[in-house]
Amino acid sequence: MPGMKKRAIPDTAILLIFLVALTALFSTTGRNFFTYANISTMLNNMVVAGIIAIAITPLIITRGLDISFGASLSLSTVIMAMLYDRGTPQLTCLLIGLLLPIFVALFNGVLAEYLNLIPLILTLATTSILIAVGQVLTNGRSILMITDELFNFATKSPFIIPYPVVILILILLVYWYFLSFTKTGKQIYFIGANPRAAKLSGMRVKFIKIALYLAMGLVTGIAAIIMVSLSGIGYIYHGNNLTLPVLSAVFLGGMSLAGGEGSIWKTVIGVTIITVIFTGLSLMNIQFYFIQIFQGLALVIIVAFYEIRKNRQVAK
Amino acid sequence: MRRISVFGRDSITPSLALVYALMVLVFSLINPRFFSLGNFKAIMASLAISGIVAIGLTPVILTRNFDISIGSIFGLGMVVVAKLFNIPGTAIPIPVIILAGLSVGVVIGAINGFLITRVGINSIIVTLGTLAIFRGLTFYWSLSNISIPKEAFLRLGRYFVFDVVPLPFIYFIVLLVMGYFLLRYTPTGRNMYLVGANPTAARLAGIKISRSQFIPFIISGFMAALGGVINASQVGFANSTFGTGYEFKILTIVVLGGISLNGGRGTLPGVFFATLIIGSISNGLALIDIPINWRDAFIGIILIVAISVDSLQHQMKTTGVFKSSKRNTILLKDKTV
Repeated sequence: MPGMKKRAIPDTAILLIFLVALTALFSTTGRNFFTYANISTMLNNMVVAGIIAIAITPLIITRGLDISFGASLSLSTVIMAMLYDRGTPQLTCLLIGLLLPIFVALFNGVLAEYLNLIPLILTLATTSILIAVGQVLTNGRSILMITDELFNFATKSPFIIPYPVVILILILLVYWYFLSFTKTGKQIYFIGANPRAAKLSGMRVKFIKIALYLAMGLVTGIAAIIMVSLSGIGYIYHGNNLTLPVLSAVFLGGMSLAGGEGSIWKTVIGVTIITVIFTGLSLMNIQFYFIQIFQGLALVIIVAFYEIRKNRQVAK
Repeated sequence: MRRISVFGRDSITPSLALVYALMVLVFSLINPRFFSLGNFKAIMASLAISGIVAIGLTPVILTRNFDISIGSIFGLGMVVVAKLFNIPGTAIPIPVIILAGLSVGVVIGAINGFLITRVGINSIIVTLGTLAIFRGLTFYWSLSNISIPKEAFLRLGRYFVFDVVPLPFIYFIVLLVMGYFLLRYTPTGRNMYLVGANPTAARLAGIKISRSQFIPFIISGFMAALGGVINASQVGFANSTFGTGYEFKILTIVVLGGISLNGGRGTLPGVFFATLIIGSISNGLALIDIPINWRDAFIGIILIVAISVDSLQHQMKTTGVFKSSKRNTILLKDKTV
């Protein structure tokens, strides 16, 4: 992979060791860590954050960023539930819920690329607009949307695992294949490593980046549908507990905002670590604010560790 | 030559003043109550706090970094102050409590600055982590409201000088003037501009880049905590939610004030008028019967327009290769003279 240097022990291996140690720690302290019920809860917690983290990975590799996914997802659940509440057919509701985040992503992508805006700030602004619209629509209340189909979708499937987890695995495989084995995947790394060189060598940089924004919008739409089926409500604050874990997971996995680095598997490990911390501490009945502190500490310490290793590597 | 290249003519400030005047005019025409002394007093008292935090964020943006942990520092400052007022059996003197609240900001700023400039982690990632950590700590210390019973402390945020000017507004103006002189006339401040405008040139000119990027985080942490302390004295209590999402509002003020996200450009007078504009919006919207929920949407649109203008200006300035190389040499000379 371009931009990767050979090291004695790769960062990914250390991250995996950390994950195993963390899991071992929790399985000794939290008694029920390895039960089927817990693992399936954990997978469900992981699905929404996981698919978004996977979708944001190639975007960050190309130096893009979209932090409006939490707001976009929340507004989409609100719109779906409101439409359903007024008697719109379920399929139409879901379709609109799927499309809304794509439009938001189109707005973000076009503005970020054609006006050269810093995506962090742009999507921070988009977030506030989307949340405001949701608040005006609902006054901060949640709206019920419970149907048999959605319930079945969230809990069952012909396979052993429920549909949301199947979707997580499918999206994971698609993105992995796409990034690792296709020409566009290689171009994505090239764009991130050196956007100007990529442009001069004839790549359609803007097109590829906007396409990545749109793909992320589509995945956010799927996540919104999963969110509605898991929770049974449309709620504008669904995304509040999503932004931080997703971004932490991605950066924990070793993604760099400087672009050109990172992979789907690193993101998956990052998501798993965040989920293990969350689930393990929840099982020990530790308050949510301590969980937040631990996740923040894990992020800062691990990223600091990467950086120190990298600096030593350069010094040698 | 030097003055032109580093500080430029402050072109955005007059237009911001004009925008503010137009805004006042429109709001007053729709609802005459907007243009009353009582209303201006209320606006000035509340906007002073976000103005102070925005002054603190300015040097961070000038040196090409971000600090999104300011909302958490703001909230933690409030909670620490409120907690210290409520220790049973002991009455800690007010100055000590204020100092404790402010040192929270300095310590967090130093942690941020150390991780960013010494360890070398991206400022967004670091402050995202500290945002989570210190918001968590705030929750731990204050799950319910903590009231502040000390009247003398509350007066610091609620008193009106000559019955007209709110005391926090005076802090704001004093800090604004101090910040203006620091950035414009001291080597520390001028180096921040140089580092932000062109890190490579600054390094070649012998400026310690990490030092110039470290100090802004201390300033930003200090000012965020100061904003929290003043806010605590104004509202008279603290809880875990204060300052959540605050970084968005402050960032909007700073960017609208003409502090370029590409570093090294913009001055504090612009930030002053941006504070007036953003601070008057929620009040004005309420008075012309637009639901308060729309406020963040308005601020979001303003932020998008402001960064678009900033980006277009930046593109126009850097399109000529000759122009930019000439600018670098001027910057180099600036230091060696």
